[in-house]
Amino acid sequence: MSEIKPTVTVDARGMSCPGPLTNLIKAYRKANVGDVIEVLATDPGFKPDLEAWIRRTGNEIISITEEGGTIRALIRVSSK
Amino acid sequence: MPRRLLIVGGGDGGTILANRLARRLRPEELEIEVIDKEEIHFYQPGFLFVAFGEASREGISKPRRKLYSKGVRFTRAEVREIDPGERRVRLSSGEEKPYDYLVIATGSVLNYEDIDGFREGANHIWTIEDAEKLYQALKNFKGGTIVVGVGGLTYKCPVAPLEIAFLTDEFLRARGLREKSEIKFISPLERPYGPRLLNRVVVERMKDRGIEPITFFTVDRIDPQRREVHSLEGESLRYDMLVLSPPHRGADVILNSGIGDEEGWIPVDKHYLRLRDYDDAFAIGDATNLPVPKTGVIAHFEASTVADNIYYELRGMERRAMFDGQSFCVIEMGREQASAQVSNYYYTEAPGLIPTRVLHLAKLAMNNMYWTCILGGYI
Repeated sequence: MSEIKPTVTVDARGMSCPGPLTNLIKAYRKANVGDVIEVLATDPGFKPDLEAWIRRTGNEIISITEEGGTIRALIRVSSK
Repeated sequence: MPRRLLIVGGGDGGTILANRLARRLRPEELEIEVIDKEEIHFYQPGFLFVAFGEASREGISKPRRKLYSKGVRFTRAEVREIDPGERRVRLSSGEEKPYDYLVIATGSVLNYEDIDGFREGANHIWTIEDAEKLYQALKNFKGGTIVVGVGGLTYKCPVAPLEIAFLTDEFLRARGLREKSEIKFISPLERPYGPRLLNRVVVERMKDRGIEPITFFTVDRIDPQRREVHSLEGESLRYDMLVLSPPHRGADVILNSGIGDEEGWIPVDKHYLRLRDYDDAFAIGDATNLPVPKTGVIAHFEASTVADNIYYELRGMERRAMFDGQSFCVIEMGREQASAQVSNYYYTEAPGLIPTRVLHLAKLAMNNMYWTCILGGYI
């Protein structure tokens, strides 16, 4: 599978709640349908917050991976 | 020859830093100059109390010149460009000021352009004029739906929208209008307040006071004619009064100088507050891009860190003060009660304290201590 290239990266490493989700929402406001937002975060609360946000907004998580304490989420903007 | 410290911005961070150094070093060791374009200094947390008729413009402001210790020079001027490579700052008048140490404390500015209809449709408390306008609007309110909450993202004082909601509830009760009114609290997050433990306290108090939380509501645009606020998630709410946090960005001078990110926040290292690539230039307070709230208490602790390190260096010692992200916040919850929360870079989920009158009194005490102990750089 070829690597999906993000349209924009939100680097929220070192931010505590609600920083990562807040920065994702800021990127989402500027994004277009079809864009892929990459979020890098270290706050363990980010994953459940993101999943709740996805359920509510109808966008799509392409992948969530974790390596060396950094959570990397790829989100496809499918609903605006 | 004395070294020369230039501080751009005379808010609480810039003032605390100047005074803390002026009390410890002689003018022969360090010349200190603060530049700000405004003559009057406002205690910004006081805007909340102005909006609810508990404080006045005069009670929460002082002329800047009265706030500085002996040895600090205050210059009223607008800074056009900051050039850390050349170690100089250019004023709008064309004058250039060189420095040995630079501290950028330019704060944040409102960015109404980020949300269509915000300026016409929403009230807020983030300037003295808007706090006074909100007080008039509340006094004229006859009942209906008040929508309060988070408007733009990145704004000063994360808990302020909550405080506005609770104090609005109290204000309407005191005027016999609560039964004729609905208060809705909107948040772009899954819960009214981000950190989970304090959020529990917030939600419980909202339930007690009949404030309805509406979550995942990211303000997209406001229609002042129809009195509707629309969310990015596709919802809309009708309001009779709308009170939202405005979006903020960094100061124009930061964007013009090319030393900030795309929103004008300055990248600095998280412990020593140095600008990247420069050992003699620092940024403090709202101006930085650090992952901490944009609040006065952060500016206070950052100012102390930088002041102490300049002092140590001038006395031939190592820079040994480190900012650890420390924040402390008292949250007004109405009925003369307040909760509080502490956090730092490493400890972000402190329990939210049960609202008490003691914490409310602590907040009032801080309003007075501000002008002496805090701005004076004593603590």
